[in-house]
Amino acid sequence: MAANTVSEIVKIKRKIYIELAKQVLNNKINERIDKIPYKIAKEDGDRYRCCVHKERAIIGERIKLALGFDPQLHKDETPADLLKKEGEEDCCDNIVNVIELACDSCPIDKYTVTDSCRNCVAHKCVNVCPVDAIVTIQNKAFIDQKKCIECGRCRQVCPYGAIHENVRPCVRACSVDALTSNSERKAKIDYSKCVDCGSCIQACPFGAISDSTDLVNVCRTIIDKDKKLTAMLAPSFVGQFGAKIQPEVIKSALKEIGFNDVIEVGLGADMVALEEGEELNEKISEGDFLLSSCCPSFKKTVNKHFPILNQKVSKTVSPMVKIAERIKETSDHETVFIGPCVSKKAESCNYSTVDYVLTFEELLCIIVASNMNLANYEQKEKMNDSSAHGRQFAYSGGLSAVMLDLLGEHINVVKGNGLDQCMELLKKIMKDEIEIDFMEGMACQGGCTGGPANLNKPQVTKKLVEIFAKKSEHKKADQNEKTA
Amino acid sequence: MNKVKVEICIGTPCYLMGARELIDEMQKLKKIYEDKIELKSLHCIEERCEKAPIVKVNGQIYEEVTYDKLQKVVKDKLSKL
Repeated sequence: MAANTVSEIVKIKRKIYIELAKQVLNNKINERIDKIPYKIAKEDGDRYRCCVHKERAIIGERIKLALGFDPQLHKDETPADLLKKEGEEDCCDNIVNVIELACDSCPIDKYTVTDSCRNCVAHKCVNVCPVDAIVTIQNKAFIDQKKCIECGRCRQVCPYGAIHENVRPCVRACSVDALTSNSERKAKIDYSKCVDCGSCIQACPFGAISDSTDLVNVCRTIIDKDKKLTAMLAPSFVGQFGAKIQPEVIKSALKEIGFNDVIEVGLGADMVALEEGEELNEKISEGDFLLSSCCPSFKKTVNKHFPILNQKVSKTVSPMVKIAERIKETSDHETVFIGPCVSKKAESCNYSTVDYVLTFEELLCIIVASNMNLANYEQKEKMNDSSAHGRQFAYSGGLSAVMLDLLGEHINVVKGNGLDQCMELLKKIMKDEIEIDFMEGMACQGGCTGGPANLNKPQVTKKLVEIFAKKSEHKKADQNEKTA
Repeated sequence: MNKVKVEICIGTPCYLMGARELIDEMQKLKKIYEDKIELKSLHCIEERCEKAPIVKVNGQIYEEVTYDKLQKVVKDKLSKL
């Protein structure tokens, strides 16, 4: 599990978000939206594409996504046109989108021969090729791409390691084979397979895959005097805005920039722990097993790739939905979930109780747009919504530890840490190769702390979450009277 | 002066633009050059937040710093110690 790096691509995205948030918060977005690409890509600035015009065009596509529209469906409209279509956003259809204009159409010839080829006497590559795709031309092996079936045997046998395997970063990052390419060799997402994990977004070095966002709509709600907004902070929020920034500081800072209330999703996790614990008890007494339901990408993986196991997934809603239901029951506030997750954006579309979803990255752009410097901010509000249990949901192993704590050490628990591991475990479960009572499935390596929109190193976040969990007033979910 | 003083702003705008990584990388560099680098973090450098991340090296301010840029500056100063 690696920390996300702040590449030039990431910086451009963040600059766009800050600028958008600033203009919406200052109520000047209508007159300024067309100027944003010019402000960010200057004539004399750093250039990553062929010309400044393409650079600006791509920024325009990113703005469309930030407004909640799919750039592919709105090719002929400008960001200003789309700004007028408030309420018609298509962000709920697909969360992860390819920005075709930014996609570099990476080569798709999987195996090529490099200059390391010595045209050796043994020519193992020629001999091993099952389809006679390799010939020697000009003293070098050559792969006829029309014949190549991409079996990779030539690469395995070459004593010089002269055969290069070229896999697009997006394709390599995808654990569920959802990435293909269209006739122009641009990346294409097969949405019947995609589980919204967001790995391809992180992987593409051209920044050609991006997620749609509620950033603009959240800023509109913040400045709307008639609306009230509650921020729901995912358990992995601790330390995301700087390792030294205390959780309590974040709460009061958010209130100062216009959120009416701030609550830990950990409380929702406490409620989930109790409900899912009961469900698991029942399942065990029936001789059955249970798959966790808090990670939407894991749920989707089961749904799309192991549909036979569908009914094994816990019926308990996720902590996000649980806490949002609670807020809607007790107030007239709109709700915004804030986390490290792309998948929650898709999940929220199925629940009317969750109005918006932001990532930590997007929230921090709003904080910067509000001219707030958390490093200088000292005001602290009490934070005691969640027990240690709920806070532990942030990392891989947290949920299963809670289950063991609530139900006893005798239950048989397995953890899927990251999509690859989840897929492996699900295959084994399907083939009856392992016996389990409970499987915790987390699509991101390290759990939510390793999410695609995390801002700090997962191992640092985990430590800070553990410290925060120790500070909880209650150790266990069943001791937290707020769950009632 | 027998040390290169590197002050990295970790205010929110700089943090968002990669200050944390700059600190991580400078700590690695510090291990190589032992006590020749003095590393500090600041909460804001002259409110130049628009040009984040901001770093001061021996008192001189650098804007829109990348690690590449920073290590060149620091190594240059180290060679002149």
